[in-house]
Amino acid sequence: MVEKWRLLDTGLNDAFYNMALDEAISVARSKNLVPNTVRFFRWEPSAVSIGYFQSMEDEVDLAACERMGVDYVRRVTGGGAVYHDRDGELTYSLIVKEDHRLISRDVQKTYEVLCSGLVKGLRLLKVPAEFKPINDIVVGGKKISGNAQTRRFGVVHQHGTILRDVNPSLMFTLLKVPSEKIRDKLIRAVEERVTSINRYLGREVSFEELKAALKRGFEEAYRVELVPGNLTEFEERLASRLKAEKYSTREWNFKR
Amino acid sequence: MGRAAYKVEGGKLIKVQLEERDGRIEKVRIMGDFFLHPEDLIEEIERDLVGKALEEGVLASSIEALIEERGATLLGASPRDIARCIIMASEEGR
Repeated sequence: MVEKWRLLDTGLNDAFYNMALDEAISVARSKNLVPNTVRFFRWEPSAVSIGYFQSMEDEVDLAACERMGVDYVRRVTGGGAVYHDRDGELTYSLIVKEDHRLISRDVQKTYEVLCSGLVKGLRLLKVPAEFKPINDIVVGGKKISGNAQTRRFGVVHQHGTILRDVNPSLMFTLLKVPSEKIRDKLIRAVEERVTSINRYLGREVSFEELKAALKRGFEEAYRVELVPGNLTEFEERLASRLKAEKYSTREWNFKR
Repeated sequence: MGRAAYKVEGGKLIKVQLEERDGRIEKVRIMGDFFLHPEDLIEEIERDLVGKALEEGVLASSIEALIEERGATLLGASPRDIARCIIMASEEGR
């Protein structure tokens, strides 16, 4: 019998709830209240997330975010600042018990294994994706997906982005640049180093088509069946509490 | 206060903010887009470095010892990279 995991599609939510829900699912998984889980989600309003070790004031142009109605939030995972465009990006989370056969003690190895589901899904869309250490997925050398992982309470939690569409100049309006003089240079560098599914294929790929391909990619790479499911009441309640008490607070978002 | 940024070859970016007195660390903040599991060990590393002499080797071995003791994983940077960035912040602050 093939092993069954839960598949969630939580749709559009704000940044604070999105991050709170990842933590709530991780806690529920650690208590064995829910199975291993794949979650797809998007951001409304669009948002910037920063890595655990980054400084909000250093990385994010807060005035530009306020002006454009873009949220900003600190993640529990390391890694860099990411702009999550409402219509350009799909985000996923994987929440898996640490003792699962896919998880090794070697963090780098675990990135490669978990990213193989995304690589497979993208290849099903005829996007010849490859894993690039430490935590990226690239197409023809250009980044199409960034991923970040943490381990807590005996659970591995990896989340990441898949670029369906990309807008580097908007990204650098929201992120701080070392100086105005090099803004254009940075935008050009990102245009050269980053791509998206739509750009690579030269056609519009819908979120539904993308999610269907990734679902199959995860299933084939991990040898599991993803069964569409729902959040438990425990997860919903904990997520609301974590949003209010942690992810939407100044104390958390500006702690570094 | 000294600040420095250091991009690790083939790795991540480290940023340091440093306050020092008489060649020793008074306060240090280690930032960047690297990975450390568990994440909150960074705060403990920062506390542990207070009072340490500003010498790359001393700082690198302190950081390494703490990471090893906790069975932690640092990815995208090494203890020596972090130590180097702290020394760069010290030189910049003078």
